[in-house]
Amino acid sequence: MSLKSERRGIHVDQSELLCKKGCGYYGNPAWQGFCSKCWREEYHKARQRQIQEDWELAERLQREEEEAFASSQSSQGAQSLTFSKFEEKKTNEKTRKVTTVKKFFSASSRAGSKKEIQEAKAPSPSINRQTSIETDRVTKEFIDFLKTFHKTGQEVYKQTKMFLEAMPYKRDLSIEEQSECTQDFYQNVAERMQTRGKVPPEKVEKIMDQIEKHIMTRLYKFVFCPETTDDEKKDLAIQKRIRALHWVTPQMLCVPVNEEIPEVSDMVVKAITDIIEMDSKRVPRDKLACITRCSKHIFNAIKITKNEPASADDFLPTLIYIVLKGNPPRLQSNIQYITRFCNPSRLMTGEDGYYFTNLCCAVAFIEKLDAQSLNLSQEDFDRYMSGQTSPRKQESESWPPEACLGVKQMYKNLDLLSQLNERQERIMNEAKKLEKDLIDWTDGIAKEVQDIVEKYPLEIKPPNQPLAAIDSENVENDKLPPPLQPQVYAG
Amino acid sequence: MAQAAGLPQASTASGQPYVSKLVLLGSSSVGKTSLALRYMKQDFSNVLPTVGCAFFTKVLDLGSSSLKLEIWDTAGQEKYQSVCHLYFRGANAALLVYDITRKDSFHKAQQWLEDLEKEFQPGEVVVMLVGNKTDLGEEREVTFQEGKEFAESKSLLFMETSAKLNYQVSEIFNTVAQELLQRAGDTGSSRPQEGEAVALNQEPPIRQRQCCAR
Repeated sequence: MSLKSERRGIHVDQSELLCKKGCGYYGNPAWQGFCSKCWREEYHKARQRQIQEDWELAERLQREEEEAFASSQSSQGAQSLTFSKFEEKKTNEKTRKVTTVKKFFSASSRAGSKKEIQEAKAPSPSINRQTSIETDRVTKEFIDFLKTFHKTGQEVYKQTKMFLEAMPYKRDLSIEEQSECTQDFYQNVAERMQTRGKVPPEKVEKIMDQIEKHIMTRLYKFVFCPETTDDEKKDLAIQKRIRALHWVTPQMLCVPVNEEIPEVSDMVVKAITDIIEMDSKRVPRDKLACITRCSKHIFNAIKITKNEPASADDFLPTLIYIVLKGNPPRLQSNIQYITRFCNPSRLMTGEDGYYFTNLCCAVAFIEKLDAQSLNLSQEDFDRYMSGQTSPRKQESESWPPEACLGVKQMYKNLDLLSQLNERQERIMNEAKKLEKDLIDWTDGIAKEVQDIVEKYPLEIKPPNQPLAAIDSENVENDKLPPPLQPQVYAG
Repeated sequence: MAQAAGLPQASTASGQPYVSKLVLLGSSSVGKTSLALRYMKQDFSNVLPTVGCAFFTKVLDLGSSSLKLEIWDTAGQEKYQSVCHLYFRGANAALLVYDITRKDSFHKAQQWLEDLEKEFQPGEVVVMLVGNKTDLGEEREVTFQEGKEFAESKSLLFMETSAKLNYQVSEIFNTVAQELLQRAGDTGSSRPQEGEAVALNQEPPIRQRQCCAR
């Protein structure tokens, strides 16, 4: 990829997406950067602390109240001062949702109740406020929309309200069963409108979209990535998988997109932005809209590169590349959420359904991706996956003529360095091999010598007769002339 | 998206056309996209998609009733075949396209059929075998008879076409549409059923109902 498109790219640090506690799962701004599990633990601790403090406060308040009452009995003058002080304190405590001792004890006595546990799941008050504002806005829009349909609108609103009131009692059911309930509700409402209300099909579709928006905005926090499923685990698995495949190039996937072209690079960035943005939407239809927008940008990128409209043979590899490059957060959770709670007719038919199916194909392909899929040898694939090496940069010949000379030279140098590095590694390996061979050889020789010594031990036999002096038999030694004496000459 | 807006939208009794999903299956470069493009192009030059040629819709007027045909193009490369069963969900019809000048593409079409058979019960979808590129007759590797015999053995519809010469392109889509309407009529339903929600990234469930069974 060019330096330009590298600079244009979206830089979302993965650490920002993960849980603050470092457990490896995704964090969520709604849970102050924690994952659902850690948030529950943190919230539970905070709540226990709060309950403890509230107990102490309640006792203190009760003591003060008794003292105030006692002092009011003894002196009328002092009473007003003490009481005003008490009132002031009481007012201060009101801001912490503590009004009277009676209310306090009734609240704390339910500490372990089911309701308390459910509250612990909910986000902090500020987030709740934010959510309720959005929910209220959506509800208002929904009511305003239904007003235009008069009697049918009233009927739809009544059914929707009943459904939303019934759903909290179904939270103990599995997510698949909750999904089934929602799908049944969609189907029943649509059928009733068509048969009883005689509503035209195009209007039914519009109403169904609004119903989905209304109910899913309310149910989102309970049904998106629920704890009863392994969605979070799947998210982490696909995220790790995509990270491990960071080395995959467009050429390997046969992607017909040239990111050197600025317009194409822009389209790629927009496509990545859209697929990442999907996670921020609450309504399945809005998530689908993000996928569709992403797909349109991909088609544009291919069209600009090839100068002709793209086919499915071009589109799917490019979508896979975009997913690999973007590594969208909570990808599996989003796919599952759309599958479970989107209007079914949207998923299997229509443009949104087509692009969503392609995304599912892309994710399935990434999960199964192997050496053959990328036209690589198994050896190369394993090396790239383990991070030992990465595919060589493009040769300088493939650079467009208008590319900066400095950049060309830099990549050329980097290429040379990588080649030198490979050669050095090869030499080091050979040297180590030689050293090992030498050690093995010396060890081998020593072993052979040892074996021979053991096989043929050296025996030193004692002599049969004692050794005599060499000259013992020379009896005529004494007849020898005396040794010569040195002569000194004057001269 | 190509929307054939200019066509008269004859309605069914309920006042709306049947919606049918047709998937184009076959190896890379057999002419799947070309067939879809040619079909969309011949009546209206303005309905061609401005961006991509992968998803099209067209409303067909078939006398007493009308049918909205959604054409889903698929990636034909070998490496994507393992994930392409995801395209089949909720499909009412499939075109198995092969290139008459490439025997391997004919064998590949047979593999696609096997994948379809795993997903659907017999008669649940309308399947047509299409031999494309008849304009390259002198390079033919698959005879008309071979194609016809295979189609008959598997109870498939069969036709040979040329997207380049616009030979029998409309016919394949119209024949499939007629068959879909006929089957919908035979089942006695006023409209084809909406597909139930399915997990698109999981293994296919055992199908309980038959959308378009004879």
